[in-house]
Amino acid sequence: MQNQEKQTYWTLLHDFLRRFIDLSEEEFLQWQPYFELRHINKKKVLVHKGEVEDYVNIVAQGLVRKYMKVKKGDVTLQIAPEGHMVHSEISFHRRTPSEVITETIEPTWLISISYQNLQALYDKFPMAEKLGRLFAAEMYIIKDKRFFEILKKSTREIFLDYMKTHPQMLQRVPQKYIASYLNIKPETFSRLKHLLKKKV
Amino acid sequence: MEKALRQYVSKYADLTDEDLELIRTRIEVRELAKRQVLIHAGEQEQYLNLVVKGVFRKYFSKGRDEVITQLAKEGDLISSSVSFLSGLPSQYAIEALEPAIVYSLSREKVDELYALSPKIERLGRSIITELYLSKERWEQDHVQFDIRQRFVNFVHNNAELIQRVPQKYIASYLNIKPETFSRLKHLLKKAPLIATLS
Repeated sequence: MQNQEKQTYWTLLHDFLRRFIDLSEEEFLQWQPYFELRHINKKKVLVHKGEVEDYVNIVAQGLVRKYMKVKKGDVTLQIAPEGHMVHSEISFHRRTPSEVITETIEPTWLISISYQNLQALYDKFPMAEKLGRLFAAEMYIIKDKRFFEILKKSTREIFLDYMKTHPQMLQRVPQKYIASYLNIKPETFSRLKHLLKKKV
Repeated sequence: MEKALRQYVSKYADLTDEDLELIRTRIEVRELAKRQVLIHAGEQEQYLNLVVKGVFRKYFSKGRDEVITQLAKEGDLISSSVSFLSGLPSQYAIEALEPAIVYSLSREKVDELYALSPKIERLGRSIITELYLSKERWEQDHVQFDIRQRFVNFVHNNAELIQRVPQKYIASYLNIKPETFSRLKHLLKKAPLIATLS
């Protein structure tokens, strides 16, 4: 990869971190070696069921989905585009075998930090502790929002809200994954798509 | 006060006596009557609460129904956490189901504590991470377990709450219709079934 492209991803990481804490250019350069850039081909599994998740990943470019295999088929729990974090959270934090699978949908660049490096970062830089706390809070808020929506909203509302906030996803992601993520039956999903045309 | 606080904190971090003292001196002890509300929907959550005595339910209204999202007993945290962390109005209400006591830390005191001690900041990170993983756990459980399994798992892990909390609240928490819940209760009599899931 061109150095220039790599630099873009590092800048993206710096911007991502600065959403939570003040981190100067010099400080960021001290943090950077703890992270790595990983290129993954399309449709490659990042973490298999039963493996212990070793990374926190931010999608720099591409798309990753997180799903579970159950009797009735695959259930998608997350579709992560650029700027989003994706990994097998419970496995990562508890060091237990993952119950979920993460897999790329497109060729993907990830900015990743390993479990070991993250602990080292926490120990070396007190500000990382604050970052970890604020970041966990944001993830919690996002999760709670999804949880609230699943329980409170109608299927139609869930569909329309998602399409409004994620307008390019229909072009990039197989429809069945979006339907599964929103917990909508494929037939219902096709029917709901007509709502989008009317609105335009 | 020491004991309940120390017990809770030790699950997440190895704090010094000085750190514990910093926390202890900032705690407000609040007593609630049965049915008293800790926070209404629409209010901004000002407190992080540790249950020392009693049982609470956290819920939101859906039309004429209420959906319970948490049942908390002694040793659990109860708070409208998203509102506490984001400053947004609470979408949930919290109510005591028994006469209760909570240890509460206000938002200002929590920020003060983070600034005073890196170990307390780490404790905060661990607690919030735990909250966040519990949401992930909830979602994964809903995906991989059917109603019957969720019921059996809950009973197995929360034998005490079954005795203390009205049945309709537990049914709501498990996202199970009250009729189905009554039917599932018969499973309880078949103890071996529960044992096999442990």
